[in-house]
Amino acid sequence: MSRLTPKERFMNKLMGREVDRAPVFCADQTGIYEEMDELQVFWPEAHQRAGDMARLAAAAYTIAGFDAVRVPFCQTIEAEALGCVIKYAGREGIPSVNVHPYKLEDTVKPLPENYLESGRIPELLEAVKILKQEVGDQVIAMGGIIGPYSIAASLIGITTILKASFKKPDQVKPYLDLAEQAGTALGKALIEAGADIICIEDMMASMDMISPAIYRELVFPWEKRQIEALSVPSILHICGKTNPIIEDMASTGAAILSVEHTIDSVDAKEKLKKFDRFIPLIGGVDAVVTLFSGSEDEVLQQSLKALESGYDMVAPGCSIAPGSPLANLKAMVKAAEIAAKQ
Amino acid sequence: MAIADVFVRYDLKKEAAEKKVAAGKDALLQKVMDAVVDGDEDNIVAYVNEALAAHDPLVVIREGLVKAMDEVSRLWDEGVYYLPQTIISSDTMLAGLDECEKKMGHSMEKKGVVITHTAEGDIHDLGQQIVNALLRANGFQVVDLGKDVPVDDVVSAVKQYKPAMLTGTALMTTTMTAFNKIANRLKRDGFDMPFVCGGGAVSLEYVTSFDLGIWGKEAQQAPPMANDAVAGVSWTKMREKYNS
Repeated sequence: MSRLTPKERFMNKLMGREVDRAPVFCADQTGIYEEMDELQVFWPEAHQRAGDMARLAAAAYTIAGFDAVRVPFCQTIEAEALGCVIKYAGREGIPSVNVHPYKLEDTVKPLPENYLESGRIPELLEAVKILKQEVGDQVIAMGGIIGPYSIAASLIGITTILKASFKKPDQVKPYLDLAEQAGTALGKALIEAGADIICIEDMMASMDMISPAIYRELVFPWEKRQIEALSVPSILHICGKTNPIIEDMASTGAAILSVEHTIDSVDAKEKLKKFDRFIPLIGGVDAVVTLFSGSEDEVLQQSLKALESGYDMVAPGCSIAPGSPLANLKAMVKAAEIAAKQ
Repeated sequence: MAIADVFVRYDLKKEAAEKKVAAGKDALLQKVMDAVVDGDEDNIVAYVNEALAAHDPLVVIREGLVKAMDEVSRLWDEGVYYLPQTIISSDTMLAGLDECEKKMGHSMEKKGVVITHTAEGDIHDLGQQIVNALLRANGFQVVDLGKDVPVDDVVSAVKQYKPAMLTGTALMTTTMTAFNKIANRLKRDGFDMPFVCGGGAVSLEYVTSFDLGIWGKEAQQAPPMANDAVAGVSWTKMREKYNS
């Protein structure tokens, strides 16, 4: 078939229609040092300023050749606007939460009225506008938000939320309410700024962290509420081996599921067939062993294998380690081209 | 839930069943063990004190607390326990350990010093907490640098404590590259202790790509690795033993 723009390719695949090749992108962080050097745009500025953020994000398309671009690069935007103290990690790292504002027993404050004007949210929204203007006619612009359980973990601390999820789940719920409102409000603002797709990362809901029972009790209802409130298709990303909850993830209403290479993709795809809509599964590339440490050929082979084993779009199953070689990112695109010719 | 029920309920392997018999000889120690496996933080102190009335503190530690953590590790390994239960069990064990050390009037004589940390920028330190608990239960002095630790802080802690072993945990792909920087700095300054790195984002390929690095697959490898390190086994030999 004739050559599609990245945007057409992505949207066609999302709808289960024909494509010239499988789309390639990353649902999580995309910035790498080689792109930063080429653009002379660096962290931490690209975490903080709209212009730099948009330029580095666009590199996923203009330099690496991905079919979608995304902002931000960190997982602390909502947390910061809700009062978490953020620690920056210089040129090489991503910001992290340094101080959690709440203790489990505290009374949870409502979402601040000026929430969308807080922290780096205005810069993030501006970055989406710039991305749309610069590359938006060609490529999918994704806005990233953080899932309710993961924001709640930033609010009270990870050990606290994990223990409470097992022993006192009711005490976690007010935090999930606030976290969901924060993520959803940001998601809506990102859509208004022009985001075509919202990507929800709920990394703390990984089966490496919690059990399927906790997922069903304390994660699923809030994710579902959030996804239903967003007017564009959403990608739900959860790390780890998500086979035990893959049907629950689909039941949230997420348009696309982003998973780690550790899952049994054939089993997952089989389970997704039970739904009356096409739900693309994305991932298949090991972000550490292959994309970061592996050779170009290893990335190529794993990407090809991903497309054979049920993945609809090629992506790393986690944030791209910023030290990953550019050639390895490009090898994912190359694999999609090769697979299309076979 | 008693430990026996855990085994029945999950139909664990034969070797697990054998352990159950070994731990079941003494009712007081069994109660300590059950409390740790069940994560009964409210009652552990009372049970440990009951056991201490009949047993030497070292026996309570070895036969009750450490054995219980072995079972917790196994349940985690088998996918029966998830992280929340494991963390609660570790905390329960540590509360029991404090009680035993109080009774001894001093800390357990330490086999050696291990420094543990979680990489800068990493939001998880849960794997590290379990490593800390297992090392402490097995008699090592743990210098816990906590999470989100900059490279400089790790290097200066090594200079200060001269540990037999250093560990690093990273669960995010965006943070793990701190480990080779730490290893290079230590090497340059003449340190050659094994640097065991583990956690979700960390791979064998990455860790064995720099000197001193030994890949830790699971938290429960920490005590045997620390034993080797204290016995003077070099990082190269340890890499052969654990990573090949």
